[in-house]
Amino acid sequence: MTILPTLKSLTIAAAILASSSAIALAKDVHISVWAGGTGPNDIYRLDAIEIAAQQLQREAALKGEDLKITVEKKPYSAWEDFKQALTLAAEAKTAPNIVVSGHEDIAPWSQAGLIVPIEDYVDLDSWPLSDIYENLLQIASYNGTVYGIPQDAESRPMFFWKPYMKAIGYSDADLDALPQSVQDGKYTMKNLLEDAKKMQDKGLVQPGYGFYPRTSNGPDYWQFYTSFGGTMEEDGKLVFDKAAMTRTYQFFADAVKSGVTKKNHIGMPGDQWWKEVATGKAGIWDGGTWHYARLVNQEGLKDFFGNVIFTLIPAGEGGKANTLTHPLVYLLTAGHDQEDTEIAAQLVKIASEPRTNALHAVKSAHLGISKSESTVDFYSADRWTREATERLLPHANAMPNNSDFGKYWNIMWKNLEASWTGAKTVDAAVGDAESELKSTLGDKIVIR
Amino acid sequence: MKSSRTLGLVMIAPAAVMIVLFFLMPVVLTAVFSMTNMTTATGISGGVYQIAPNSLIALKSAMPEIATEMAEPRYTIDEAGLKAVEGLGLAPGIAAELRAKHTGEVFPARRDVERMIKDLAERPSTREVKQISEQFNRSVLNTRFDSKGQLFSALDGLGFQLTPEQKEIVAKTTYTGWTWTSDNFSRMARSPDMARVLFNTVLYVALVLTLFNVGYALLLAILTHYMPPTPASIFRGIWLLPRITPVVIYVLLWKWLAWDSGFISILMGKFGYPPKNYLLDTAYNAWFFVVLINGFIGASMGMLVFSSAMKAIPKSQFYASEVDGASRWQQIRYIILPQMRWPILFVTCYQTLSLLASFNEILLATNGGPGNATEVWALSAYHTALRNYAGNLEYGLGAAMALVLVVIGVVLSLLYLRVFNYGTLVAQPLIED
Repeated sequence: MTILPTLKSLTIAAAILASSSAIALAKDVHISVWAGGTGPNDIYRLDAIEIAAQQLQREAALKGEDLKITVEKKPYSAWEDFKQALTLAAEAKTAPNIVVSGHEDIAPWSQAGLIVPIEDYVDLDSWPLSDIYENLLQIASYNGTVYGIPQDAESRPMFFWKPYMKAIGYSDADLDALPQSVQDGKYTMKNLLEDAKKMQDKGLVQPGYGFYPRTSNGPDYWQFYTSFGGTMEEDGKLVFDKAAMTRTYQFFADAVKSGVTKKNHIGMPGDQWWKEVATGKAGIWDGGTWHYARLVNQEGLKDFFGNVIFTLIPAGEGGKANTLTHPLVYLLTAGHDQEDTEIAAQLVKIASEPRTNALHAVKSAHLGISKSESTVDFYSADRWTREATERLLPHANAMPNNSDFGKYWNIMWKNLEASWTGAKTVDAAVGDAESELKSTLGDKIVIR
Repeated sequence: MKSSRTLGLVMIAPAAVMIVLFFLMPVVLTAVFSMTNMTTATGISGGVYQIAPNSLIALKSAMPEIATEMAEPRYTIDEAGLKAVEGLGLAPGIAAELRAKHTGEVFPARRDVERMIKDLAERPSTREVKQISEQFNRSVLNTRFDSKGQLFSALDGLGFQLTPEQKEIVAKTTYTGWTWTSDNFSRMARSPDMARVLFNTVLYVALVLTLFNVGYALLLAILTHYMPPTPASIFRGIWLLPRITPVVIYVLLWKWLAWDSGFISILMGKFGYPPKNYLLDTAYNAWFFVVLINGFIGASMGMLVFSSAMKAIPKSQFYASEVDGASRWQQIRYIILPQMRWPILFVTCYQTLSLLASFNEILLATNGGPGNATEVWALSAYHTALRNYAGNLEYGLGAAMALVLVVIGVVLSLLYLRVFNYGTLVAQPLIED
């Protein structure tokens, strides 16, 4: 008959809680959170904050506080709209409490005073923050201050359609060895273009579908620059490596010239691209780890591992095989009530717990943020997250957190697009990029 | 008379306020912004002074020793800090324990001193830890100062021996906000891409204006003028559809027509041509569609203006010319066109200005592609100032670009008025006051 004492103590506990909460002031807190680049698979970027709110309310109740947190969630599917909306809202002092954005925004936003350092509100030495991979925390820092908490990690691999690789002469053993030979620098960008051409010549894919890269601007294109030996930043200064940029632009111009990539590829409808890569219309393409979720969940590619093999971005001339991690980070915006910001920071902290974060990692096919997340069975049992973490993450670079990187990026992309479509020759594009970088950034960029 | 004039001024006052607020102010603000280096990173409302590792990189070349000294973060547990902690109103044990166990200790980084504070017997909350550590901060690194005065007094307080010139250099390199500059205009003048964008704009305005907004509009008006009234109304109604369809839907229809999976591709597929994105296939294709998309919208306005103007031409002139045996072409040449000077001036002037500033159809259709081939000035200003993937919005440069557009617009308006001899076109009012 142990149930009676248990019931009794529960009743007393409830009574104490009820009375204390009646005495304590009820506090209603409204926390808004916006997330960029967020499709249906990434919804835990926002939902995790809601889950965290539940937890924090319970913790408050145990301390005798009546805390009610309402979480207002706003996903943005595109990046351009999101950054415009957020920047202007922050300038107008109507920014949400929490923002989920790319780490590269930390530099300009912190300099402009739009965000506040999260390390002022949370204890980085306590779990789960103490468990987050050190390099991810570094990426979320600027000027030696931790501004954001990594929300996810990822990398951007090269994908190959297995049946076509077999049809042009690769055995199963060759394909199993491909990731390693890319990593060792034996399989290069040159081989990639050759294989893409072979696929087209054999009629496996249509002209222009051999190599089918990302259709719009994105961090992916910095991987190609790295692959051809480029450096983005050195000792806090941006670097424009003319030779490496020439090789990068030339690679895409060559891909178009040899007919394996379409001249009009950039700007094509995204939905069409997704459908085509999921149904084997394309031979080789690059993308993010999260593509797995979209291909499998929305595009109907059931046997992913039977059809697709993924590797690092192969080395080009003068560079090495690499991939890029582009962690999104939880950031706190400035201009709010101190207490609200503290609660927002607490929510971010709770949302970063391994089991909660694993929900996002598995649903969206992103990678985990902390060591213990890989010990969560739910996470490690997922083949994609496990393999992608092991194969790619150790080789991942990140874009620099530099308040002028955005200007560099815009100029780099504009000229890449121009040389890709033939609007400029490669040399003219590199020359134009150089002169515009000089007049825009002056001595803030090293040109070599 | 005088009182009626005063009353008139009072009556027009609300409109005048509106004009100043919504028409004049944007132009003035654009002009002001264009003389700054304002970006996302500098913010709009102004900056602060922050001695951060990134600003010290710039300072290093000017004052290497001072920059190195400033880069040293220091947290010293001294009496002044302890007194300040006592004043914070926290648990009294905290200051006492710090004084007893840690006086004189120096910590190189904030994280280190905070770890020590967290180990105190009466463990403070995270917020309190930050408050306590700040009392021992004996470095200017990463502190944001709202004014130069605060920055200089902090530097003085920490014993930096700086001359006024050196202080000014420190202030200049550590300022995070925007500054006045004319660089935007020199950047525009030097950039080969800007020249290309300007050329695109001239091409776009000239093609759409001559082929559609005036040329085709005039043709439609003349054709419908010679039609029986009912078919003419139906015909004009059809040409109004692109104008009244929401622009997003209208452009989407064009995209369905011209995409890889669109109507043209499907149709051409029947004849064995592989599907392709006709809209973005080449720069010529993109221009072809951009001109059509905008032209089909623009033609309707000219058509309406010209049609109603033609209706105002006395019928007797047509009857008389028919009696004289004039052909349709002669009627157009000698009756219609000479009397259409004013409507043609109006449509040309109005449409030039609206085409110069319009970019939404291009944004939705090609977004300036392929390879920036259809990037016109207004679109480029928008991309620069308000919308790009990298998220670094260059308000200053974008405003400078917009200002160029305003100047071009004003100059063109004046030019049109002169060419069409505005003075003689506006007849003197018959009723004088």
